[in-house]
Amino acid sequence: MSVSAVSISQFSLPKAFQVEDHFTAISKPIWRWRRQGCPASRFRCGKREAWKMKATNMGKNYYELLGVSVDSNAQKIKQAYRNLQKKYHPDVAGQEGHEYTLKLNEAYKVLMRENLRKEYDASIGEMRGNYSSSSLGRTSSWNGPLRPQGLFVDENACIGCRECVHHASSTFIFDEALGCARVKLQYGDDEQKIEVSVDSCPVNCIHWVENEELPVLEFLIQPQPKEGFGIFGGGWERPANVFMAAKSFNKQTHNENHGRNSRASTVEEEETPAQAKARADASRKINMEAASGLFSRFWQWQNKPFWGEKEE
Amino acid sequence: MAEPAYTVASDSETTGEEKLSATFSETAIGIDIGTSQCSVAVWNGSQVELLKNTRNQKMMRSYVTFKDENPSGGVSSQLANEQDVLSGAAIFNMKRLIGRVDTDPVVHSSKSLPFLVQTLGIGVRPLIAALVNNVWRSTTPEEVVAIFLVELKAMAEIRLKRPIKNVVLTIPASFSRFQLTRIERACAMAGLHVLRLMPEPTAVALLYAQQNASQNTNTGSEKIALIFNMGAGYCDVAVTATAGGVSQIKALAGSAIGGEDLLQNMMRHLLPDSESLLTSCGLDDIKSVGLLRVATQEAIHSLSSQTNVQVDVDLGNGTKICKVVDRGEFEEVNQDVFDKCASLIIQCLHDAKVDTEDVSDVIVVGGCSYIPKIKSLVMSTCKKQELYKGMNPLEAAVSGAALEGAVASGLSDPFGSLDLLTIQATPLAIGIRADGNNFVPIIPRSTTMPAQKDLIFTTAHDNQAEALIIVYEGEGKKVEENHLLGYFKITGIPLAPKGVPEIRVILDIDASSVLRVLAGVLMPGSHQPVNPVMGVRMPTVDDGHGWCAEALNRVYGSTLDLVTVQRKI
Repeated sequence: MSVSAVSISQFSLPKAFQVEDHFTAISKPIWRWRRQGCPASRFRCGKREAWKMKATNMGKNYYELLGVSVDSNAQKIKQAYRNLQKKYHPDVAGQEGHEYTLKLNEAYKVLMRENLRKEYDASIGEMRGNYSSSSLGRTSSWNGPLRPQGLFVDENACIGCRECVHHASSTFIFDEALGCARVKLQYGDDEQKIEVSVDSCPVNCIHWVENEELPVLEFLIQPQPKEGFGIFGGGWERPANVFMAAKSFNKQTHNENHGRNSRASTVEEEETPAQAKARADASRKINMEAASGLFSRFWQWQNKPFWGEKEE
Repeated sequence: MAEPAYTVASDSETTGEEKLSATFSETAIGIDIGTSQCSVAVWNGSQVELLKNTRNQKMMRSYVTFKDENPSGGVSSQLANEQDVLSGAAIFNMKRLIGRVDTDPVVHSSKSLPFLVQTLGIGVRPLIAALVNNVWRSTTPEEVVAIFLVELKAMAEIRLKRPIKNVVLTIPASFSRFQLTRIERACAMAGLHVLRLMPEPTAVALLYAQQNASQNTNTGSEKIALIFNMGAGYCDVAVTATAGGVSQIKALAGSAIGGEDLLQNMMRHLLPDSESLLTSCGLDDIKSVGLLRVATQEAIHSLSSQTNVQVDVDLGNGTKICKVVDRGEFEEVNQDVFDKCASLIIQCLHDAKVDTEDVSDVIVVGGCSYIPKIKSLVMSTCKKQELYKGMNPLEAAVSGAALEGAVASGLSDPFGSLDLLTIQATPLAIGIRADGNNFVPIIPRSTTMPAQKDLIFTTAHDNQAEALIIVYEGEGKKVEENHLLGYFKITGIPLAPKGVPEIRVILDIDASSVLRVLAGVLMPGSHQPVNPVMGVRMPTVDDGHGWCAEALNRVYGSTLDLVTVQRKI
C-alpha cells in the first residue's frame, strides 16, 4: 500500500490536493522578512516560481519536509514533527494546514519506523549519495520548518573573524582546522540574531541562498583531496568560486536527469560520489580559467545574477 | 445580517470550511455530557474554571423530567429526593442510547431502566418514553440531550454574561460516527455549534500536556501516559506521548461498559429476578425498580470506602431485601466488566507499541475511578505502584475540553499556558465491504489525524458496469460486526474482464474528524479517472440503518461486489 498523495492528484479533485499553494503560503512571511532584513545581499540563485515548482518535489523528501538532517535520531525527528504540528496543525492554522499536516503525518510515520525508514532511505538514496552522505557533519542541518532559503558561508572568502559565531552561536560554528566559519544549524538562532551576524561579516561572505542550492554549495565548498604528481601538487583544494561551480554542477545534473528521463525504460543509474566529484572538478577548472580575482568576480556576480532574476 | 439563532448540522455537504469560518470569535466552552453527570468549563483568561449552577454545583446529574408541558433537566430543577427521578417521568442514561438501534445489546440492557425502552429487534431506533400523568410520552435520546444542553447553555450564559454558541464536547472513544452525528444534531437543536468532538481520554491528555508543559517549560523530553477513563456508561483508554504542550494520541480503545453495568450486575445479584419487574410496565413496578436502583447505587458508593455494606430496602411490592454485601462479592459479580477493562488497556498499549515500562504516568479518571478494584486493576495491568495524582477525576475531561475550546477558538496566553495541541487518532478502523462479506479497513484504528489513505479494488465479475461502495466503521472482520456509515454506487465502469478496472477508494479525515469518501474508476495504463470521481461525506445513514445493509443485499446480492487488489509493498 505504498500509494501516496501523488496518485490522488491524478483525480482532478477540489483544491484540497494542491501542495504547492500551501507551501508558498507558508513560505511567504519568511520571504518578506528576508527582503527587509538584508537589503545588502541582493543576489539570489532563483526566483519564487522556481521554488514553488520545486516544492512539489520537496514534499517527497520527508527529511526536508520535517526539516531534519538525514542522520537525525528519532528524538530529533519527534521534536521537529511536534514543532511543525504546532504551527501547521489545522487546529492552529485552520483548514489550510490540512494538506501539509497529512504530509507531515506520513513523513513522521515512515521515519519513526526503522524498517520503513530504511526502505525510504533506499528509495531516496540517490540524492543522498550525491553529496550528503560523503560529507556528514560538514553540512548544515535544519531547525524548525523548511524555508525557501538557507545561509551559506563562502569559506574561501571567510577571514576567520568569528563575528558570526559570536552573534549567532547556535547557527554558526568555527572550524578550527580550516580557520573559517560554517553554518551548523540553519535558523538555529532567532531571526534578529541571524540578521546581525550576517551584517557583521566584514567580508560579506555569508549569503542567503535558495534551499535547493544549499546542498550543492555545501558539498562543493568542502576541500577535496587533490591528486599529486610526485612532490608537486597534492593536499587539499576547493573551487575558487563555489557559486560558479554550483551552477555548472546543477547544469550537468539537470542534463543528465533530462537524458535519463528520455530513456524512460533504461535502468536508472546511480551517480557515485566519485562521479559527482569528477564533475565538480571539471567545472571548477572551467571556472578557474574564467576567474581572476576572488572579490572582483564576486561583485560581478552580485550585480549580474545568472538565473534570470526577476525584479519584483 | 443577524446571526442565525442556531446552526443545523446538515445531513449532506457541510464543508469543513464552513465549520471553521464561524469559530474564531469567542472562547468556546467545554461540555462533558456524562451518562450520569454533566459539567461545563471555560477558559477564563488565565485558567480553566468550572461553571456552577444556581445550587452551587459543578456536577449536574444528567436527566430530564417530563412532569408537565415543559420538560426540565437536572441543571435547574430542584428535586425533592432521589426517588423522584425514578417515578417514570425522568429520562436518563441517554448517552448509552443515543444513535443506537434496537438490535444493539446496550439498548437491551437499558430496558431495566425505570422508564420505557421498547425494542422491536429490527434495526431501527428504539422507542423511549417517559410516564407523564399515566401516559407514556415518547421522546428521543437526541431530544433529551438537547433539552439538557439548552439548560447548560442558559446556565453558562448567565454565569459568563455573554451568548454561548461554540462548544467542545467530550464523547466516548467507542462512539461510532453515526452516534457523533446524533450528538451534533442534539447540539443543533439546542442552538449550539460544535467546534470539536473530543474523545474523553484525549481531553484528559490535553490537560495532562498542559500540566506537564507548565511544570518543565523547556525540557523537550517526552512522557508517555496511559489514561483510563471510566464513567457510568463508557470505558475509554488512551496512550498519549506528551512533550512541550503537544499531546500526541498514540492509540485509543473504548467500550460501552461502565458503572451502569456494575450497577445492573449488582441489582441482579441482590434480586435475581429484577428484570421481570419491568415486564408489565406498571407504575408500581417502575417504583420498585427505582428503589432497588437507588439502594444498589448507594451500596456501590459505600463499598468504595468500606469493605461491606448493609442493604436494607423495601421494594413496596412485598419484596424486602435485607442483606450484607461485601467488596469481594461486588468484585466477583462484576468480574467480566473488570476483565474487559484490563483487555482494553492491554489492547491500547499494544496498538500504541508501548511497553508498560515506557509509561511514565497512569491517569485514572471518571466516576468509576473511586472503585478500589478499578484502581488496583489499572495499576497491576500497567505494572505501576501508584497513579498520577495531579487531577480531579471528575473534572479532568471537562477541563481538557475547555482547554481545547480555548485553543480552537484561536486564543493565546501570554504565559504560554495555551501553547497546546492535541494530535488526535482515529478510534475505530474505517473501510469498505469487499471480498464477499468482509470488512476491508482502509484507515486502521489509531491512525494519526488528519489522515488520508487509499486502496485499490477491482470488479468481481466480468463486464461489471457498476459497483457498490459500502462504508463501515469498526473492528470486526465481517461487515455485520461493524457500524454502517453509508453507501453509494459507482456507475459507468468500462466493460472489461473481472479484475481489470481499478476502483480507487480514498478516505480522507480532516482534523475536525470529517470523513469524506472518494471513489473513482481507473483503467490500466491511464492516469485519468474514467468518470467524475464520487465524493461523499459520511455518515449518510439515518435512524433506520440497521435495515440498510440487508436491503442492499436483498436487492443486489453479490452482483455489484468488489474485491481487493493484491499489491506488492
